[in-house]
Amino acid sequence: MWKDLADLLFQAYEQFSLLPLFIEIALAFIFIAILSTLIAYSAILIKRYRAYVYEKRYAFISPKIEDLITEQVLLNPNLGKDLPVEDIEFDENAINNRIFRKPFVRQMMIDTLIQYRKNFRGEVGELLRKMYIDMGLEKDSFAKMKTFRWERKIKAVVELTQMDISISDVTILPLTNSGNASLRAAARNAYIQLSKNEPFKFFDIATEPLLPWDQLEMFKIITTTKDIAIPNFSRWVSYSTNKSIVSFCLKLIAHYDQQSAIPAVMDLLANKDHYYRADAINCLGKLSAEVSEEKLVKIYNNQPLNCQIEILKALGRIASGKQLDFLKSEFLYSSNFDLRMNAARSIIKHNTQHSRVMVEELMEMTHEENQLIIKHCLNPLIKY
Amino acid sequence: MASTYIGYASLFFEKTVFIYGLMLLIIYAILAILSFANIRLFLRKESYTDYKIILGSPLAPGISVIAPAFNEGLTIISNVRSLLTFNYPKYEVIIINDGSTDDTLEKVIREFSLVKIDFAYDPKLSTKPVRGIYKSTDDAYAKLIVVDKENGKSKADASNAGINVAAFPYFLCTDVDCILHEETLQKLIRPFMEEESKRVIAAGATLRMANSCEMDKGVITKIKAPRPLLARFQEMEYIRAFVLGKMGWSYINCVPNVSGGLGMFDKEIAVKAGGYDGASFGEDMELMMRMMCYVHDNKIKAAIRYIPLTLCWTEGPTSLKVFMRQRTRWGRGLIQLMIAHRKMFFNPRYGRAGMIIFPYNVFFELLAPIIEVLGIIYYILLIIFGLVNWPYAIILLVFVYTYSVMISSLAVLWDQLTFQYYKTWTDVVRIASMVFIEMLLYHPLIVIFAIRGYYFHLANRTHVWGNMQRRGFKESSDTKTTTATV
Repeated sequence: MWKDLADLLFQAYEQFSLLPLFIEIALAFIFIAILSTLIAYSAILIKRYRAYVYEKRYAFISPKIEDLITEQVLLNPNLGKDLPVEDIEFDENAINNRIFRKPFVRQMMIDTLIQYRKNFRGEVGELLRKMYIDMGLEKDSFAKMKTFRWERKIKAVVELTQMDISISDVTILPLTNSGNASLRAAARNAYIQLSKNEPFKFFDIATEPLLPWDQLEMFKIITTTKDIAIPNFSRWVSYSTNKSIVSFCLKLIAHYDQQSAIPAVMDLLANKDHYYRADAINCLGKLSAEVSEEKLVKIYNNQPLNCQIEILKALGRIASGKQLDFLKSEFLYSSNFDLRMNAARSIIKHNTQHSRVMVEELMEMTHEENQLIIKHCLNPLIKY
Repeated sequence: MASTYIGYASLFFEKTVFIYGLMLLIIYAILAILSFANIRLFLRKESYTDYKIILGSPLAPGISVIAPAFNEGLTIISNVRSLLTFNYPKYEVIIINDGSTDDTLEKVIREFSLVKIDFAYDPKLSTKPVRGIYKSTDDAYAKLIVVDKENGKSKADASNAGINVAAFPYFLCTDVDCILHEETLQKLIRPFMEEESKRVIAAGATLRMANSCEMDKGVITKIKAPRPLLARFQEMEYIRAFVLGKMGWSYINCVPNVSGGLGMFDKEIAVKAGGYDGASFGEDMELMMRMMCYVHDNKIKAAIRYIPLTLCWTEGPTSLKVFMRQRTRWGRGLIQLMIAHRKMFFNPRYGRAGMIIFPYNVFFELLAPIIEVLGIIYYILLIIFGLVNWPYAIILLVFVYTYSVMISSLAVLWDQLTFQYYKTWTDVVRIASMVFIEMLLYHPLIVIFAIRGYYFHLANRTHVWGNMQRRGFKESSDTKTTTATV
């Protein structure tokens, strides 16, 4: 039988090789196309079936995990008895149940514990952490750290951070400068949360950028994590060669109102990169750095539009009243619409007797378009 | 004599066109692989991304949502309400009443307590005159701005007026009747904020047909594959174009176009590039081309990105007449664009835009319908003259058919891998079945309407803006009917 089949195939091949090239190509493509189509629909079937099975398993396991946490942690009789959390024991039979040995269930257990820990702090939070350690889930997370797949590493870093398990500097520091942006961001966030002494140490060695998307999370972590030692960020403004780190530090300086950083920020006004300068000017405005006003006005005419707009905004935020005449002249004589608009906003922002009189004068002496700008800026319905 | 011509034609079609077709199919295969890689990367990133962080962040950039409206009186209130439900900390919604002749403006003024305000309007992009700008006295609608302007006979003119009013550095352009997901802004801003060495100038996401979806107060409550055959074909086409095509192009930074239905743009670049062109029939692609030219001329390293999530649902035409008008306009827009930007053709100065995107569009988008029609004429001639080698002809037909089925099937698979929008098997089968009949029923229509568009452009025929009869969405028990320009 095999011989017949081989003969048949050989004959088919012989006939195939006699065909013109374009027909041979077409036949080859037909074969590939039919095979790929079959694979595609099989994959859809499998994918949907697996999703269905996952839902079923999830629905089955989830209540068991919830019950375990409720019984062993939330309703633990030793809670609230001034007993150290380390001394509270779990029911061995419950946490060593066979069901919790399956990898799928263990991952679900980790995810659920993390969710609970986000909602519970204090003694309950610590007990959730103890459960994570006692069930050996910590080892699972560390095992993920050793894989080559970056998304698994990220998962591990997030799990360990959420459970407040320290990761050695040797392991985590290299990841804070990883070429993979996602892994780098996760490692940096973890480092800030886990490092007790120098949470911003990686700022010194960071050569890879801190992307605006990653800044969102890092900003939240820094500004909301308890007991974090906030350094003087001007240190990196002065010495870091990583532009994105400097830019981020400027935002933190403004947030923490670090007045001592003003000289370092002012040094940035001489930087060649105008986006950089704009960030520095913005920061000075938010710091209400009156000392920088004169310098800002002095450099104004040599700046590109984005920096000029930031200078006008900064003068409005500082609102010392010393630069009102400058703002007035910009409003009256600038040919650029955006500059006039920002100058008007900054005059109004002063909100002093002098500025209010100036606004009234301007309304009388200026042309129709400028009057409209003032009305626009005065209108409380226009927020942005 | 005739046989000599047929001989030349034979040579052309059997060799050149076969190679052309083969190249097109290989490009599709490459796109399928690239889009798979891109979707996989996206899903891996999504698996640990917490979008809630952006919601409370003072660092979130502001976004202006721009939605032109023309004679949308019947649905404008629910449309505006839908646009005001975004989950994002810093945004404004700009509705542009493009000289509606119905009661669109009056309804909006009444419903949202609007008053005309003194607004310093800076016409950075030239448009038809603006008659007034309105804001709400009700704090609940503080994000809403309504611009009333004279009709500019194009969406482009209205969008440009919206850009002039926009306060934020990014703007999202959509159609007022499109239904956007509440997380659209947070999902679409991400590509702008996570690019390492390039400036992202535009980003888009997948669009789908809303024809049979269920809605409640401007929000989709149940996603269903469209029932009408024409809309179902379009859904299939959109899945292939967005999930497979644009995701593949996005992977190598060669996205040719960000859809007019849903696209987020860098305002500074869009304004410097001159905004939308009111005279263009494909204003969305035209803007992209000009933005690409601008960044290359100014040596800005830029990128255009796509994400595979469906964030926008639109009602597709269900009547052949309206569909023909829409596709004819698209065809017209394409040829107009290719002629207007011909300087980019194989021009290395424009990088990938000049060397890949533009030539691809010329060879495989613009010329494809023409070559197809010529091929059919050639086949008919061969049949008349009795010169057809039927076994070979059938093999070639099967080859093209099976290959197109494969590409569309892969698109359905990639879509299913991204997110299972269809909850039932019936919906999946409904879409998958289109794959097998698309080439026989739907594709010929696309080809004919595209050629019609080319002809109209070359013959300089005046375009008449028609009304698209919208059937509305399944909402409680009533079905609304409205009109839109196509």
